[in-house]
Amino acid sequence: MAQITLDIFRFDQATDEVPHRDRVNVDIPETTTVLDALETAKADVDGSITFRRSCRSAICGSCSMNINGVTGLACKTPCNTVLREDGSIHIDPMPNFQPMKDLVVHMDPFWDKYTRLKPYLQPADSDEEHERERRVSPDDMKKLVEAANCVMCATCYALCPVVSVDPAFAGPAAIAYAYRFIEDVRDAKTKERLAQINDDYLWLCAHCYACSYCPKHVEPHDRIVDVKRRTVKERVHMDKPGPRHALVVNKTIRQTGMLAETEVIQGTVGRFNIRGLIKIAPLGLRMAAKGKMPPLFLRPIPKIDEVRTIYESLEVPVS
Amino acid sequence: MKKYGFFPGCVAKESCKELFNSTMLLADRLGIELIELTAASCCGASVVNDTNRDIARVLNARTYAQAEALGLDDVITICSTCTGHMRAANKELRESEERMSAANAVLGKFGAKYNGGVIVRHLLWLLIDDIGLDTLRSMVVRPLNGLRVAPFYGCHIIRPESVNGWESARNPHSLEDVIEAIGGEAIDYAGKTRCCGFHIQLEKEGTAASMVGQNMRIAKDKGAEVVLTPCPLCHLALDGYQADAAARWGRTDLPTFHLPQLVAFALGVPAAKLGLNKHLIDPRRILTERELIA
Repeated sequence: MAQITLDIFRFDQATDEVPHRDRVNVDIPETTTVLDALETAKADVDGSITFRRSCRSAICGSCSMNINGVTGLACKTPCNTVLREDGSIHIDPMPNFQPMKDLVVHMDPFWDKYTRLKPYLQPADSDEEHERERRVSPDDMKKLVEAANCVMCATCYALCPVVSVDPAFAGPAAIAYAYRFIEDVRDAKTKERLAQINDDYLWLCAHCYACSYCPKHVEPHDRIVDVKRRTVKERVHMDKPGPRHALVVNKTIRQTGMLAETEVIQGTVGRFNIRGLIKIAPLGLRMAAKGKMPPLFLRPIPKIDEVRTIYESLEVPVS
Repeated sequence: MKKYGFFPGCVAKESCKELFNSTMLLADRLGIELIELTAASCCGASVVNDTNRDIARVLNARTYAQAEALGLDDVITICSTCTGHMRAANKELRESEERMSAANAVLGKFGAKYNGGVIVRHLLWLLIDDIGLDTLRSMVVRPLNGLRVAPFYGCHIIRPESVNGWESARNPHSLEDVIEAIGGEAIDYAGKTRCCGFHIQLEKEGTAASMVGQNMRIAKDKGAEVVLTPCPLCHLALDGYQADAAARWGRTDLPTFHLPQLVAFALGVPAAKLGLNKHLIDPRRILTERELIA
């Protein structure tokens, strides 16, 4: 047994203007999960400590919270893996959400983005018209299993640095769940789904891998890349900066072996998009004033033919 | 003199030439030889993945084949994004015979072959693993006199941990160790492992700038005087967008150093050779204030 101090964020939106913190001591084995430590604190010390929980075994996705600055499921986090040197654990509500009461947050923005996906199967015909069950081969199903494991705990959403400054971004979970239907062979709304998730800023993912801490190994960062690839393959939103950026980067690598910065900027913003170019002009001018401009033209790397051979051998034509 | 294969990456050859130059000056001081893989292509920069994972992997396999042919299996990068994506491609190749032979089938068309022997590391890790912090400390001729430096890692040198794994992605300390070895004081702040927003600058500039502002605000409030990053993409973002983020996050104006610039400076390379005049937020002012340069 060990004495562990839980340093807990306390706030009640009904009565408090500002949050405060309580330090609660519990005597428990060090290998106890943070969730069980909280349960002990609630049962033995202060019944008003409020948090969401249900299954206690990383299936329901209710108990995600910020534990010593790291967001994750309390039921999957043993105390001894996070204990500070002074024997304390600091517990806060998930970031990127408005706190409601103590560790409970308003989940609405997360659910809104999820509902927008129409997170249910939309086959070509109705179930009434369909005579047999809709069968899926094991290989086709394998592609969906990881994404379908999502328990919507919102850990990835809370960790996402883009969401933290721009709530318009769909966030990792919604895109991973969009993937689950986009890649489902039974679903007939692939293009509509792709257009929808592109409208919800699919390409605003900053490739930061913060969502690689998904407790269910959905690997949202990989699913986001999968949805981008499908977007390009299906030629959805090809006039928008995201797909244009992907294509122009490939084009310059194919031509020069390098990511040619000048052409990539022009190609993404649009050479004739005068408004867009004016918008990025101030930074360009500041850089030019410092002599910090990428070259206008790049000489191809030695043996550039080899790079072109790689592209020709592996490219899936997107025209 | 120990020799390494050197993969500078696109940005160090284009808009951050000062990074390339200061890396070569630092290598000279350290007594190591960085042999540039001049025929190497872009690593894919996480964008080639967005259209075709196989092309990204095989472009890197081609680079590794070149390194092996030159006997330079130890490949050093100076960019967090290059590090992460080259290591990811290497991991995929080394862990699957199927992927390796598929890659070699393409490389074979121009007589190249990758045998899986390359290791990709960032210069930051070389400083600690091969030079050693004690040796580095002993080489310092111009200690930073407690200059308060905020480390900024850049996502792809730490995450995902399964690809990088050199240190904990949640609580890394390599930059702090180097900062302290060269006489600076490392600032501990929540932004150090967060994203600079570089990859979405062209998608939604305001959002990208805000990610810079948010992190720099925390660093500034914790007392940082300058920022140090091992990634030129982070450098472009942090150096370029603090001005744009000021409306939302307040003025921060933290000068940002490339890792080799600040280390080379402490090791006695003249400041005038480090390209500090190329930065949008001029770092020379704080160096003068702290009496580190005249």
